[in-house]
Amino acid sequence: MGNNTVIKVEGLGKKYILNKSGASKSDTLYGNFLNGLRNLKTITRKKETEEFWALKDVSFEINQGDRVGIIGRNGAGKSTLLKILSRITPPTKGRIEYGGRMASLLEVGTGFHGDLSGRENIYLNGSILGMSKHEIDRKFDEIVAFSEIEKFIDTPVKRYSSGMYVRLAFAVAAHLEPEILIVDEVLAVGDAAFQKKCMGKMEDVSQNYGRTILFVSHQMAAVQNLCNKGIYLKNGQLVEQGLIENVIPTYLKSGAQPDSQSFYHRTDRTGSGKVKFESFKLLNENYQEIDNAQSGSDFFIEITINATEEITNYVASIGIDDDFGTRITHLSNDTSNQLPSVLSKGTSKVLFKIKRLPLSSGIYTFTLFSSSNNEILDWLQDAGKIDVESGDFYHTGKIAPEGQGKIYLDYSVSIL
Amino acid sequence: MANNKIIIDSKLNSFFSLSEILKYKSLLGNLAKRDFLVRYKQAFAGIMWALVKPLINILVFGYIASKINSAADVTSNFVFVASAMLLWQLFANVFNDVSNSIIGNSNLFAKVYFPKIIIPLSSILVCLVDFMISLIILFILFIISGQAIHWQMIFAPFFIVLTLINGFGIGLYFATINVKFRDVKFIVPVILQLGMYITPVIFSSTFYMDKLSNFIPNWLLWIFYLNPMVGAIEGFKYSLFGGDAIYNFNYFILSTVISFLFLLIGVKYFYKFERNFVDYI
Repeated sequence: MGNNTVIKVEGLGKKYILNKSGASKSDTLYGNFLNGLRNLKTITRKKETEEFWALKDVSFEINQGDRVGIIGRNGAGKSTLLKILSRITPPTKGRIEYGGRMASLLEVGTGFHGDLSGRENIYLNGSILGMSKHEIDRKFDEIVAFSEIEKFIDTPVKRYSSGMYVRLAFAVAAHLEPEILIVDEVLAVGDAAFQKKCMGKMEDVSQNYGRTILFVSHQMAAVQNLCNKGIYLKNGQLVEQGLIENVIPTYLKSGAQPDSQSFYHRTDRTGSGKVKFESFKLLNENYQEIDNAQSGSDFFIEITINATEEITNYVASIGIDDDFGTRITHLSNDTSNQLPSVLSKGTSKVLFKIKRLPLSSGIYTFTLFSSSNNEILDWLQDAGKIDVESGDFYHTGKIAPEGQGKIYLDYSVSIL
Repeated sequence: MANNKIIIDSKLNSFFSLSEILKYKSLLGNLAKRDFLVRYKQAFAGIMWALVKPLINILVFGYIASKINSAADVTSNFVFVASAMLLWQLFANVFNDVSNSIIGNSNLFAKVYFPKIIIPLSSILVCLVDFMISLIILFILFIISGQAIHWQMIFAPFFIVLTLINGFGIGLYFATINVKFRDVKFIVPVILQLGMYITPVIFSSTFYMDKLSNFIPNWLLWIFYLNPMVGAIEGFKYSLFGGDAIYNFNYFILSTVISFLFLLIGVKYFYKFERNFVDYI
């Protein structure tokens, strides 16, 4: 272990056991009752299980004062790594050594209770994060000032706006003064000014106080700004580590790999099932599969469907939600007046062409819905995710600031 | 590298560490404070509600007991039952709250590391505050019925602690099972309901032993004392009223030993699985 090393990770692995027999869930009371009886009968028998390694043989070292960005696609094992580092879940294999006080912010405001006042919540949250009463007393005024909620400090936080809530929550976390700080994408909340303040605080902590930071984010711009080192994870394995300038390009290049999402295993559907959604893909203009869309670019959404019989007036629609579950937009071949005269039996593909995607970077979820003559055929809520990377929507070589809303408008400005 | 090195190893299990708990003592206090504050927020009568449940229990069971044990002096019988009832209530609350504490606070330890034993420990604190409030009722009853103050009363705190140990030990065991099998939520009230009838709450131990000796041979009577609450309640009654509350001293010791055995089992079982709770929640 080098003199400067603060975290040493050796051969880290995390195994999860997936239960296979969990599929036979029932919605009815009677069905539940039968399931209960069946469970009692099989309690002694071994269930059919499947192993899944969320992390496999991951080793790295982090030096004092490094700001390390952990990048990788959804399901690459980033969150698992953070959880193990922050001692929330134990590793199945391997070992970690680290020195100094570590604080992890996998979310802000852990333990906040709506009925308690801002003041009471500062003490509660601070103590959950490992601060002593004395420490919180000492920093109390600073925390309140940072959060900008002086006037409401004795109001129950359930009366706060979501912005105030997040500000207070982050303010407590920002005053932790750990030697090692682990941050998950908590910064994706709050308004832009506040986000900037948070990033500033993190940079300040690492540069002026020599603290070590581990930062997970999907926003490459944020990672590039804050971090000097990078760790790229893919399918639970470490692909590359080193300077952030070298790691980000490797990650972005790997984006060419297909990422289709299939729905065969989904049982939580509504509808008659005469036509079922089978899979979902994103295609670029050349019909090549891509795993994320870019703001301002053209691409296709391809949905594979399977019909058990001929269907007339087939309507397929996609509802797109942001990460707060707010519906952003809705696409349908009914709205666009493009109903097929008849949908033939068997497999078909529905292709939505999106022109100049006006969504800002982030992860969006989508819901699929299909109907014919007012009959619901298939309805899949939260069917999957669409990753949107930031891109040059305005073709000006500039990207709108992060956190400035979800959509881009086609506009021009004239000053008279 | 700093001196306070921390090692996370797949092969190391977590264990009970008093120094770590002390490091998080402000969390212990704040969690208890939260539970207590939240419970009575926006309730007009506020903390008065802490008195209602024990009061009703005392009145109902005290009345029933005084009807059944007609031979005994009514007022002292009433106080006798009330004291046992309050201690049983303390046990029931601790047992129930501790067994539900872990799953009830999973949102905390799924996001931040701290010794998880803090959560059930804070449940005890809340129950203890409730108990202290209900002791007021007992105190008033004591004055009304003109009970004598005597030196054995100095033992009372010991039996209160013994009751906490009982509730905590058994509760911790169930809290651990509860992480994987939510059936516990339904089982605990049943155990408590049945448990009250095999514990000398309403009747004295003598009453139970007389009845029991009709069914089982005398040398087997100690079975009754496998219930750790028997010792705690006998001891509590003895320290408050003196007399022959303790039926058989050896049996009483057996029950007390069982208490500590349960505590040991509960804590061991808890720490065996504590590390993996997040993966099962």
